[in-house]
Amino acid sequence: MAKPRVGIFDFTGCEGCELNQLNFEDQLLDILGHVDIVEWREAMDGQVDELDIAFVEGSLSTPECITRIHEIRRKSKVLVALGACAVQGGVNAMKNTRPIEEVREEVYGDQKYLFPTLPALPLSAVVKVDFAVRGCPMTQIEFLKVFTSLVMGKAPIEPDSAVCVECKLKENECVVDKGMICLGPITRMGCGARCPTFGQYCNGCRGLVSAPNIEGMQEILVEKGLAMDEAWKRLQLYNANQLEGVQR
Amino acid sequence: MVQYLLEDSRVVDFVSHLQACKTVYAPHRKGTSSFAFAPVDDPTAVVLDYNRTLHSVKKYFLPPTETLLSFDLRTNEFTESEIVPCDAVFLGVHSYDLRAVHKLDHNFRQENPEKNYLRRREEAAFVGVSFEPDAFHFSGSVGIGSRDSSGFDVFLTRIAAGYILTAHTPVGQELVDGFVMPEYTGDLPVPPGFKQHIYVPQDKLSEVFEHSYRNDVWLETAEKCVGCGTCNLVCPTCYCFNVEDTVEITIDGGSRARTWDGCMLRSFTEVAGGEVFREESAARQRHRVYRKFKYISDRTGEPWCVGCGRCNQACTAGISIVSIVNRLVNDYDREVVETA
Repeated sequence: MAKPRVGIFDFTGCEGCELNQLNFEDQLLDILGHVDIVEWREAMDGQVDELDIAFVEGSLSTPECITRIHEIRRKSKVLVALGACAVQGGVNAMKNTRPIEEVREEVYGDQKYLFPTLPALPLSAVVKVDFAVRGCPMTQIEFLKVFTSLVMGKAPIEPDSAVCVECKLKENECVVDKGMICLGPITRMGCGARCPTFGQYCNGCRGLVSAPNIEGMQEILVEKGLAMDEAWKRLQLYNANQLEGVQR
Repeated sequence: MVQYLLEDSRVVDFVSHLQACKTVYAPHRKGTSSFAFAPVDDPTAVVLDYNRTLHSVKKYFLPPTETLLSFDLRTNEFTESEIVPCDAVFLGVHSYDLRAVHKLDHNFRQENPEKNYLRRREEAAFVGVSFEPDAFHFSGSVGIGSRDSSGFDVFLTRIAAGYILTAHTPVGQELVDGFVMPEYTGDLPVPPGFKQHIYVPQDKLSEVFEHSYRNDVWLETAEKCVGCGTCNLVCPTCYCFNVEDTVEITIDGGSRARTWDGCMLRSFTEVAGGEVFREESAARQRHRVYRKFKYISDRTGEPWCVGCGRCNQACTAGISIVSIVNRLVNDYDREVVETA
């Protein structure tokens, strides 16, 4: 059986998720043994016409991005969104909370007419996304799980419970009780509750669970004595697109 | 039964004495203001005056995650994990947590006996300690007093000078043998009262729950609940789990693990084909509370909640199972009893 042909692509983002794939020092040879990587701008030259799996990093933020993601979708059997920008818009989507012209002017000044821009969108806003590897940067253990499943021809299981679950499995003391703004209760698990385990709060980088009670979460943060503005900003950091239409 | 006085100054010696017999697990400080059971290394680190541990001792018999078997995809063979019994002393267990273990024993002996749990559980010895109820404990309302020694091998009751020690079983007597203590002949002071109460007994609760399926409290609670599942995961009588296979990156083998799960989690109610059979948070909350006071209780005659207060204390939204149940009782009295 021929090995699956894999392409790795990037849009608006820091390329940290891609870089993370090169950091699989212990597994990289296994990974390369199962697939042929045939297109990857960051690591090699050339383009191909057909792919079995496309791993795509970054959010869509220019008209050119829209054209290119359609091309990638057209030539790929399976498309996997890689990391917070691709999955939910990520930190880029913070700009969506301000008028687009204002943002454009602030960044490009009087050259702004040379740089058309769009609100930062997740891939799923434009094309069908089959699977996701979440996190900022993408969670490595999750990438390996998704990768292994796809190589075996199985649909990966995507976690859809809160980070709190993984904190509880580890018997961590709750950081909310220490006065932190932790978004763990509505953020999707899969990272092993890495930040709270090391005494940090969760800032929601893996996106929200599938039916989040955002109003309830705000109430909790305010009840814990935090300013609504501060709570809202924290929610916007990675999930600005998911907050649209939510009563503040 | 002989009562001994274990003076505060001798508690560390007593822990060392137990350690000489068996592995000892006991509460330790964890984080800034929490407690957790852990194997005793340094006897001076053991804390017997504590409100509650993050998890109950359930975690030793039904671990948060356990590998059930490993498989080889080349030969199509599997090997089940070897289960080692906890031949150990669990020191400093509160009455409600041991009662919870007894409830799990019941659940896991029904129908298909759960051999991993039962195997780990069978050799365990328990040394209990009384507790002073805080703002969250309500075990008194479900028939478990703060000094309830039933089921323990040895029990320690807190008094000003230390603990009154009593051995209740041959195993307990064996644990205490060789540790010299004076007999205690004084009085037993009145136990401190509970600060939270469910005001009716289980036989009435069963009737109340019969009429509470459509109560507004479920929807009202769902507005506050963020569905994080913490209440399930800290509960000493919750025992639901998920089973997942993981294949190694080498694609030649892997393992099957089971992990605690909970009925408050939306993904728990998702079945094959993607159907979610309890989509609404309100329905999940109702199911959780019914599992504690109705469904199992109708078959056993006992509440399946032990009143430890963990679900309330750990809930970031401050949802209280006591408030929910008392609300149901009040509504029942007003709507059903008065109109009858």
